[in-house]
Amino acid sequence: MSKPKNKKPISRRQFIEGTGAALVAATAVPALHAQTPATKAAAPATSHSTIRLTVNGAPHSIEVDDRWTLAEVLRDHLGLTGTKIGCDRGECGACTVHIDGKPMYSCSQLAVWMDGRSIQTVEGLLQNGKLDPLQQSFMDHDAPQCGFCTSGQLMSAMAVLTANPHPTREQVRAGMTGNICRCSNYNRYVDATLAAAAGTGAPKIVMIDNAAGEDVKPLKTLGRSTTRIDARQRVTGKATYTSDVSVPGMLYARVLRSPHPHARIRKIDASKALAMPGVKAVITHENCAFVWGAGSVAGGRQYVEEVKKITKQRRYAFNNPVRFVGEPVAAVAAIDRHTAEEALQHITVDYEILPFVLEPEESLKPGAVQIWPEGNLSLDVRNEAKPITERRGNIEEGFRNSAMVFEDRYTTTFVHNAQMEPRASLAVWEGDKLTMYTPTGGIANCRTDMARDLGIPLDKVRVVCQYMGGNFGNKNQNQDADLIAATLAKQAGAPVRLELSRKEDFIGMHGRWPTVQYYKVGVSNDGTLQALQLRGYSGMGPYRKNSGAIGGVELYQVPNLEALVHPVYTNKTTSANFRGPEFPQGYFGIESMMDDIAYKLGMDPVDFVVKNMTRKANDETPFTNYTLEECIRRGATAFEWKKRWRAKPGSDAGPVKRGSGFAFLAFRAGLGRSSAVLDVDANGRYRVHVGVTDVGGGAKTTMGLIAAEALGVPLSQVEVVWGDTSRCPYSVGESGSRTTIMTGHAVVEAARDIKRQIADKGLPKGSDLLTATADTNPTVPGGRARDSYGAHFVEVEVDTAVGHVRVLKYLAVHDSGRIMNPLSASGQIKGAATMGIGMALHEELLYDPRSGHALTAGYYGHRVLTHMDAPEIEVMFIESDDGLGPFGAKSIGEAGKLPAVAAVANAIFNATGRRMKDLPIRRDKLVGASA
Amino acid sequence: MKALTNANPRDLKQAVTLAQEARANGKQAMIAGGGSDLLGMVKDRIVTPDVLIHLRAIKGVDQVTTTSGSVNIGGQITLDTLSRHPLIRRDYAVLAEAAESVATPQIRNAGTLAGNVCQRPWCWYYRNGFPCFKAGGNTCFSFNGENQFHAIFGGGPSFIVHPSDTAPALVALNAKFKIAGPKGDRTVSAADFFILPKQNAARENALGDDEVLAAIELPAARPGTRSNYHKVLDREAWTHAVVSAAVVLEMDKDVCRSARVVLGGVAPIPWRVPNAERLLTGQRITPDLAAKAAEIAVAGATPLAKNAYKVPLTREIVQRTLLGLATRA
Repeated sequence: MSKPKNKKPISRRQFIEGTGAALVAATAVPALHAQTPATKAAAPATSHSTIRLTVNGAPHSIEVDDRWTLAEVLRDHLGLTGTKIGCDRGECGACTVHIDGKPMYSCSQLAVWMDGRSIQTVEGLLQNGKLDPLQQSFMDHDAPQCGFCTSGQLMSAMAVLTANPHPTREQVRAGMTGNICRCSNYNRYVDATLAAAAGTGAPKIVMIDNAAGEDVKPLKTLGRSTTRIDARQRVTGKATYTSDVSVPGMLYARVLRSPHPHARIRKIDASKALAMPGVKAVITHENCAFVWGAGSVAGGRQYVEEVKKITKQRRYAFNNPVRFVGEPVAAVAAIDRHTAEEALQHITVDYEILPFVLEPEESLKPGAVQIWPEGNLSLDVRNEAKPITERRGNIEEGFRNSAMVFEDRYTTTFVHNAQMEPRASLAVWEGDKLTMYTPTGGIANCRTDMARDLGIPLDKVRVVCQYMGGNFGNKNQNQDADLIAATLAKQAGAPVRLELSRKEDFIGMHGRWPTVQYYKVGVSNDGTLQALQLRGYSGMGPYRKNSGAIGGVELYQVPNLEALVHPVYTNKTTSANFRGPEFPQGYFGIESMMDDIAYKLGMDPVDFVVKNMTRKANDETPFTNYTLEECIRRGATAFEWKKRWRAKPGSDAGPVKRGSGFAFLAFRAGLGRSSAVLDVDANGRYRVHVGVTDVGGGAKTTMGLIAAEALGVPLSQVEVVWGDTSRCPYSVGESGSRTTIMTGHAVVEAARDIKRQIADKGLPKGSDLLTATADTNPTVPGGRARDSYGAHFVEVEVDTAVGHVRVLKYLAVHDSGRIMNPLSASGQIKGAATMGIGMALHEELLYDPRSGHALTAGYYGHRVLTHMDAPEIEVMFIESDDGLGPFGAKSIGEAGKLPAVAAVANAIFNATGRRMKDLPIRRDKLVGASA
Repeated sequence: MKALTNANPRDLKQAVTLAQEARANGKQAMIAGGGSDLLGMVKDRIVTPDVLIHLRAIKGVDQVTTTSGSVNIGGQITLDTLSRHPLIRRDYAVLAEAAESVATPQIRNAGTLAGNVCQRPWCWYYRNGFPCFKAGGNTCFSFNGENQFHAIFGGGPSFIVHPSDTAPALVALNAKFKIAGPKGDRTVSAADFFILPKQNAARENALGDDEVLAAIELPAARPGTRSNYHKVLDREAWTHAVVSAAVVLEMDKDVCRSARVVLGGVAPIPWRVPNAERLLTGQRITPDLAAKAAEIAVAGATPLAKNAYKVPLTREIVQRTLLGLATRA
């Protein structure tokens, strides 16, 4: 469907054999894109106005299209890309600027309304190159994690301080509450603002304690709170995210998405769209037939050659049939974003509507529509439809030998990553060479994926990601957006930037899989676990991007175990990685279950856990070290558990009740492959090249710190090169909390190598460099398991008459090995725990059962926590060094999320005496909840 | 966003004329106040205006003025200015508190009183483009669908709840709604401004074609008046009211001379509960009386499948708000 001057369609998609599903009557469903399609295929006449406005003190006269927003004009026409667009709907705050001195959402103001007004953006905070004290304080407090919300946070904080130079903490929170931070580093944003007001400096991190019996020797550089090396870019609006990159001649793309949860496309007619002035290319399943390998590989495994050969369930960039609302149907490239969007109105699609199913248990019932010919139980990489199974001992015998047996059902909902930066992808072809600017946590993986999916050699693909606005697991590999942008760019013969709207990001990209969990637990009279059975169902959407496992049974030592987890296809959007993919939902189930049993046995839940928690991985493999009990015991003491916990749940008089809960974690911290390149010049300046992009955790700085420590030089002597496959070697992607361990290890080895070289040859002369390359793949000696540990303690107050939960105290205790940068590390825990509170109390991507449409896509609907919701999270590290990883570092990024949901739920039980078995524990479930 | 033309009227009269002209030319005009909410709907193509009439371009229609006791508030006053206005804070606290409870600081800096009162429903079906009553269709998808946040009073055939925080406050204050329109200006009482779906399922208020909410008139504050807006949100900030209560009491020492109790978040219009008001009149507001009034306030509620929790929640909020006001020095 390209225009005549363009090349032929790249390939033609094979017709897929049908599932034999019958036609069903069309029900009224909303149009995702159009309410009133115009009758003729011409872009409607646009109105233009000339406006005069002042931006950061400079006068401008600009001719604007009347529909352009202020954010659009600032970013696209004045080049002020420090103002970010996170939602474009006034729901997130990333676009906050000052208009005549007052903070407002620049996405929600038309530029034409700005005639005669004075605008200040983040770029205007810098005075003669000097940072405002607030910016400095944001840096000192490590307030920006991914940094995408930072400009908006700064503008709101500035407004608070301008109105009131000495605000209270509550006033700061209220003044900034229109600014979402999905990294959830709210504490630090508020601390930074208060410190700027008070003129005090950086926070003092005094919460590190060596684990008993471990000798964590102090180091020179690591272990000290360090400002990030790119902090200045993040607080000045200079950090370049993908949608901030523009290239000459760039076209804009938009995607037409399915309004049906399940339908076969009979016909697509894009001729009217193609005929529109300014439209350069349209692609559909008919002329873009690439398999999106990372989009659906059973079990979440790589789409490698042997898998490619046998897999029966391929996901294409465009699929027919479409299997969820929001699935791409067509994409348009045009001269600007409004023309591209308008063109979508002129594509007509003839759908044969098919029955659909949304809930995993329903999906396995006889008579349910078969989403794939092979059935709704997802196939694994060997094409076998089997539940994920774990067994030891004899489960039936275990129950027979139990004095008591408990059974219960827990459910968790679909929640979305909701990272602040909506997906964007810029594809630039130079001949047969493709450069992709795309937000990815793994530039190396993304590059491999793109080459494989497009069928071009690896050396023809370059992936660049200098800054990215959050990940939490849904930007790990390449995206269908990348394939669409690359294909459109090829067809149109021009660079193409595809921007997804916030709603598209919610309904088109994956979130956490919802689960149904049935537990049956047998215990002996003394409270010892005898048997543990889990039957679980995970809703994967129609494609299986990850395992669909339900984590948590591994936390307990039990002689008889049977866990059968069914990853099931449904017609919701795909679910996959989201910060500890299988754990927060699984922990909610099992740690609620165990908490409940403890009460029923008359035991303190802490004692019950210490009695029954795992001491070996899967009850057989020893750990490299074990500080879990230490975390729990020290945490309980610091939290004053005995004082805050109610022996009789729900026993406070009156409707307002307090109580405390806890949950614990053990999370993989394995070793593995990554690489790094280190060079040094004649002046002794080092450069470390690593394939990190820094999703928000501070990986760039951590790699610099590790290099400095290993080299024995100050950080200022080390430059970090990141985020570009043409300059960086393979690094493991920033997923699985692996970067510090794996890429950090490679950095240490490269540093050793270069030190040897310098010792042998001395520093290089002139413009020569000495270079060391390390490609390391260490393993844990002795076949032991390596885990991080932790325990979270929460005190809540529940007003049962109105169903309101307030977190009064939250303590997170973690052993993540040696802490590289306490400032950033504690921010990771704070953010993860806050996210967990959101998942426990509010968040849900709710689907309408009758239409299969998501009803809560967006920051407003999904109820992502705000400044006003975020409690103070206290963080305590129990440091240890097991002699592995770089200087003993372990995993941290995901760990803080794992027990948070369960800890909050258990605290609610302790306060109310009512066990909440279904997430989220919203007000509607809590009104009147008391024992 | 569909292409559109912005129009900056000189005054409200011209705004009305521009709307009429657009209609005469077969175009759809829409009134923009602060624009925050409207632009989102335009971007989502929930509405597709050809012309936006930008009222904030008009000078002087955002002022608070007092004439012979009554207070006139220009419809284009921002929610932020309204919430900080000394006179409003002192004499009409319920309105200042309601304005302060809206969304976020950024939205309150842009959003206007008239815009807040006239905003379209935030029902998730309507906002996601379902062809419901509010979008000109003939179905309410919430009735057999997801209705956690929908009406327990006054529903049918649409079950939306009125989204405005300031609206219940204005009804509780017995405000008058001043409308500019093609046939000149008219003033509508609070009781008549908001309309139930059974009157017109596509609209929430009595504004006719090409009419604009120009201003609000508040009656002179009576001595002894205390008022409060109590809003329950679905997170700690930036949601519409799950339930709210706007209560205005005229007290003579500890005796209630008159009461107006208006609920938000529970009905397609601000929901006044006259029976509860009558019970309070002439009485000392004891905990028992407050509980009784709250019970009466929710009598007759007809919850849907998933919003029964709103009944005890509303009862509790009414009771607490009454007691809070009664015990206030």
